Amino acid sequence: MASSASPVPAPPLFRAVASSTRPLYQLLKSIGFTNKVHVDITDNGLRFMADHARVMQGVAHWNKNLFTSYTTNLPQPEEEDEEDESATPTFQISLPALLETLQIFGAVDAATRQAKADIDPYRSNLRNYRPDAFSNQTLGMSGTCSLSHSQEGAPFSIVLEEAGVKTTCNLITYIAEEPELIPFDVNDLSFKIITQARWLLDALAEIGPTGPEKLTIAASRKAPYLKLSSVGALGSSSVDFAKGRDLLETFAVRDARWVQSFKFDIIKSAMEAMRIASKVSMRGDRQGVLSMQFMVEVEGAGLSFLDFRFVPYAERDDDEEEEEEDDGDEREGEEL
Amino acid sequence: MVVNFTLNEEGVAVFHDALACMFKFSDEVCLETKKDKLTLTTLNLSKSAYICFTFAANRFFSRYNFEGNAQYRDRFFCQLHIRSLMSVFRARQGGESGRDSRETTIERCDVAIDDGPGKKSRLVARINCRNGITAEHSLSFEPMAPTHAKFDKTEAVNHWTISSRTLRQLMDHFGPGIDLLDINTDDETRLVNFTCFTEKVQKRSANANEAVLKKPLHTNIAVEMDEFDDVEVEDKLHIIISVKDFRAVLQHAQIISGELATSYSNPGRPMKLSYSSEGILCEYILMTIGQDDAISQKHKNPRVNSVAARAARPELDSASRRGSSVVNASRNDLSQAQELPRVPQLQRKTALRPRHSQFDIRPQPIPQQIMAPPPPATARSDSLFVPQGDDDHQWEPINPDEEDDGGVNDRLEWNSNYEPNPSTLRINSYLNQAGEPPENPTSERLLSGLEPTQRLSEVS
Repeated sequence: MASSASPVPAPPLFRAVASSTRPLYQLLKSIGFTNKVHVDITDNGLRFMADHARVMQGVAHWNKNLFTSYTTNLPQPEEEDEEDESATPTFQISLPALLETLQIFGAVDAATRQAKADIDPYRSNLRNYRPDAFSNQTLGMSGTCSLSHSQEGAPFSIVLEEAGVKTTCNLITYIAEEPELIPFDVNDLSFKIITQARWLLDALAEIGPTGPEKLTIAASRKAPYLKLSSVGALGSSSVDFAKGRDLLETFAVRDARWVQSFKFDIIKSAMEAMRIASKVSMRGDRQGVLSMQFMVEVEGAGLSFLDFRFVPYAERDDDEEEEEEDDGDEREGEEL
Repeated sequence: MVVNFTLNEEGVAVFHDALACMFKFSDEVCLETKKDKLTLTTLNLSKSAYICFTFAANRFFSRYNFEGNAQYRDRFFCQLHIRSLMSVFRARQGGESGRDSRETTIERCDVAIDDGPGKKSRLVARINCRNGITAEHSLSFEPMAPTHAKFDKTEAVNHWTISSRTLRQLMDHFGPGIDLLDINTDDETRLVNFTCFTEKVQKRSANANEAVLKKPLHTNIAVEMDEFDDVEVEDKLHIIISVKDFRAVLQHAQIISGELATSYSNPGRPMKLSYSSEGILCEYILMTIGQDDAISQKHKNPRVNSVAARAARPELDSASRRGSSVVNASRNDLSQAQELPRVPQLQRKTALRPRHSQFDIRPQPIPQQIMAPPPPATARSDSLFVPQGDDDHQWEPINPDEEDDGGVNDRLEWNSNYEPNPSTLRINSYLNQAGEPPENPTSERLLSGLEPTQRLSEVS
């Protein structure tokens, strides 16, 4: 049989294998507030960026340490960089679909358990059928997960193998729109506070029940140092660190006060990140943009970071209406 | 500042538990404060359950100060959403990551209520956490006076007391899907019976118009009278209350303390349950239903004539009283005790008969009977053989479209222990005893039955 001279297929742009999808899933879920997410493949890992109406952006990094094997074959940038700065492949995919695929491990267990429970309508109250803490789905392991992207325009492929069942998912990749990052000026910070993520989470959980629309964040050099307040339909709430100055590990406020109001729902979208992170670094720049950087400790894989940026409500005092997105220069927020 | 008080961590937890219990009955709570106590009261939507928690000023609170103002001199009251209060008084977790993360961190909770002309009506709660974080919540309230239910202590001759823990464990043995609890005693065997069942029906199949019991199961647990600390109940008296309410009471009683005391009189009259602990007194007044009321209460069809339905559901007496906490009233105003609407025409009037843990075949009274005067104890004739001549309608599928006011769904319930009882065949003997509820002990022998599908006047 004549052998057709088929060219050797080029190595895929990116290929990685993970034994546990749980951290991958958790990191991605914390920016799960949009449908389409922007993906960047770099030598150090994957970067996912989600944007909500240009007033909120979240970036999740999948460090290559999270994988048991990670290889990239990225096109090297030319010496003269006339084309786009980033030669790294970039595309958009559906975030909910990706999250679903990462959940496939252990799905079989859940189905069996549910079927068992349905059969028995007379079960007594004494025997509670609680979800299994050690099921495959909860732990997110017991199989392997391979991610790959062969070339530009090819689908983003995820292959999950578990207990003899092999599931292949190919997610369509879309041409990326040029992402406009929310400008955040690291060189013109008004304040910087580092504290445990859980205090921030507690503070928001305190305020949440009153159903507020606006959240006001105030950082001040004197007491109450950091104060979050809101007014809602059922009343008003506020949380402050007046007596908890020592909870704020790093505390630097340049001017006397920095006060901005944000839509409560967008800050609320970051609560998932607060839940999995250990520390948070909150910074505000002179324009009023708020940056929250979360440090997540993943067992056996070091640290991963989640970056959020929030644009506040425009101030309407005096006659000036401050435009929050006037900055032409886009600067990426540096890490800590 | 009308009133202000401080709670410690434990106080906040108790407060929260009380609110959580009330939340099972209603969405709103009435908060009433006086110089010596604070009371939370609520009434459920159908006005068949009244709950009252009283907190003693000097025992429960770390600090309590009632000042009053021009408008509220001795007594202040307001109405709040339970949900908002619950989120304010919830337990908070904290601690360094490394220490036990379930350690709650509330150091103290200061509450101040302010009201008056020119001031904002607000309840302000400030929670100081041990780690330094301070939260402040400001809730608005409505100026509503509380509604208290009346309970006549002298009337309630039946009573018993038992450890709430024991009772709660008992309730675990009942399966899901039950609505009603029948409590009755048997002096011969020295037992107190707790029988659970449901009267809910469902269509037998998508096409059929017949309805069957959703869960044709009666579960009975017999508890020896020795387990009770004090039992004084009329023999064979059946009193029925809602399981959901009872469970809610027990769940809270178990948290608070040991002993649950109940007192009641006859079915259809209110029943009082109470228990207390240091500084807190919990009282519930639940409406009870007689046996046949139970049948009609659980109509599946929501189009039941709402007037009749409301009248059928016995309501608690209510009275907005100023200046006296009715539940603890030492003087019971007998003359003012209203006559509760006697469970009316929606069901046939029968004297008490023991609930049998078997199934009855018994179609529902047809709509015309809703407004008719209660037929006499023909229900006593629980027989499959109701002489209807040639029109033996009862075996035909019942067509709901034929019903006049589109109200009641007919139901059929299956008796697997079918045994025709000869004494019931002579229905004619009962037909003549119009209006007299016979206290005929032969009723004991009626094991199965069918209640008539037609009005008496239409029979023969």
